[in-house]
Amino acid sequence: MAGDLERALSKLRFDDQVIGYSLMTKMGRPFVSFSFPDDLFPRVKESISLYKADLRLMTIDTDKGLVVLAPVDDNWILTVLYVPELQLGLAIAKTKNVLRMLEGIELPPPPDEFEESAESNLEVLESIAIQAASTAAEPSAAPTAAPAAPEPEELSPDDFLVTSSTVPTKGEAFSTALSLDSELYSEMKKLYRNFGFDVLMLVDGRKTVGQIADSMFQPTEKVIGLLKWAASKKVVEVPRVDASGEGAPARGLSGRFVKCPKFEGDLSKVRADHVKIVQLCDGTKTTEEIAEAVGVPVPRVIQVLAIYRKRGMKMVGKTL
Amino acid sequence: MARIENPLLLSIYGSLVDKILAETSNIEEANERLRELGRGMAEQIYLTTEIVEKTKETIMTREDVAKLIEVVYKVLYDRKPTEIDMESARGSVRISDKDCIWCQDVNLEGMRGFGYCEVFSGILEAILAFKGVEAKVFEESCKATGGSACSWNVRLT
Repeated sequence: MAGDLERALSKLRFDDQVIGYSLMTKMGRPFVSFSFPDDLFPRVKESISLYKADLRLMTIDTDKGLVVLAPVDDNWILTVLYVPELQLGLAIAKTKNVLRMLEGIELPPPPDEFEESAESNLEVLESIAIQAASTAAEPSAAPTAAPAAPEPEELSPDDFLVTSSTVPTKGEAFSTALSLDSELYSEMKKLYRNFGFDVLMLVDGRKTVGQIADSMFQPTEKVIGLLKWAASKKVVEVPRVDASGEGAPARGLSGRFVKCPKFEGDLSKVRADHVKIVQLCDGTKTTEEIAEAVGVPVPRVIQVLAIYRKRGMKMVGKTL
Repeated sequence: MARIENPLLLSIYGSLVDKILAETSNIEEANERLRELGRGMAEQIYLTTEIVEKTKETIMTREDVAKLIEVVYKVLYDRKPTEIDMESARGSVRISDKDCIWCQDVNLEGMRGFGYCEVFSGILEAILAFKGVEAKVFEESCKATGGSACSWNVRLT
């Protein structure tokens, strides 16, 4: 437990974008802190007491940087101070990543009396945990009836199909890749430096590759390259190119380049005989697909798009 | 919706871009194909416009390069670029254009890194070569992919 806690907190300690952090009690008393400015504690404590009935992950903008506050469990709150220029989404993602590492750790409640913010409190926490563990029943060491692991398949980045609309999810080696002391992390760092870590922080099973690239102001291709490598190491899960080659892009680029109409105007002002076409213009379907769906020839779709081009209709190019 | 300048140019260029995107396997390759297209166009431009008369025979300094870029803009687009920056990077001249003609009304999603207007990089690179200047020109940001302006980096070698 102690090693895991230290590992989780060291992730913050060695992050260049983290100014400081503090593991605080639910009353807002800092228990273990590292470079967290003293003058910010009162403000954090105030926020904790204001929302204590329903405390969730929250952020506080301060002149020293962005504070992200997140409850770890009923007794503890993790507070991290990030550099001011870090994007909000990234700060939240980094904090959530540490929270995930803390998820499996049963932190004992804080002792009644302790010296605030002392790093030695970490040892106090350890000793309380060890004492509690020695009097409690041993938890089962390993999951029972674990299925026999299949022979690991050697995969290469080219075995995967990743486009800007792919939504990557976390793979079985995701946590390992983010552990500072793992070989996988070292390999990723060697190939991609901090870029790999930053991309993985944004993988949440909801964001597309394009959204990840946009939020990082990085080329989509670079993100795709990283994710393909990560998929070959089971760090993330993305679609595979199957043996028949189906699923591989028919031609060119990382996907088929298409132009899709997107209507951002007021649907209530669209003529009744155009509504069926216009409401399908959501930026995901080509004019051919819309024509087929509505049962009209493609020129008719183009005709309708042209009518609304000055009223919120635009063509969006993307790869699918 | 702003009025489109030169719709014929845009529709021809748009089809060429579509074709290149369909034929290339990654964005960098597509960028290079567009630059190649521009280099091919540059000879015609150089031989049929007033660029020769309005610029020095040989270009020696970064100021000369900036002046050449202004003349190219005047000849091709009848206006000046938004900015020509010689301060922020030594050895480079940066051009930015908030009213880029090539990507008018073009919206691309999830294609960050793709230089829709790389054709102009090729045009500029070739014209500089005709003037005895070795340079690499590439598009750093593009309005089509969300940038506030199109910008090119003319890296003098």
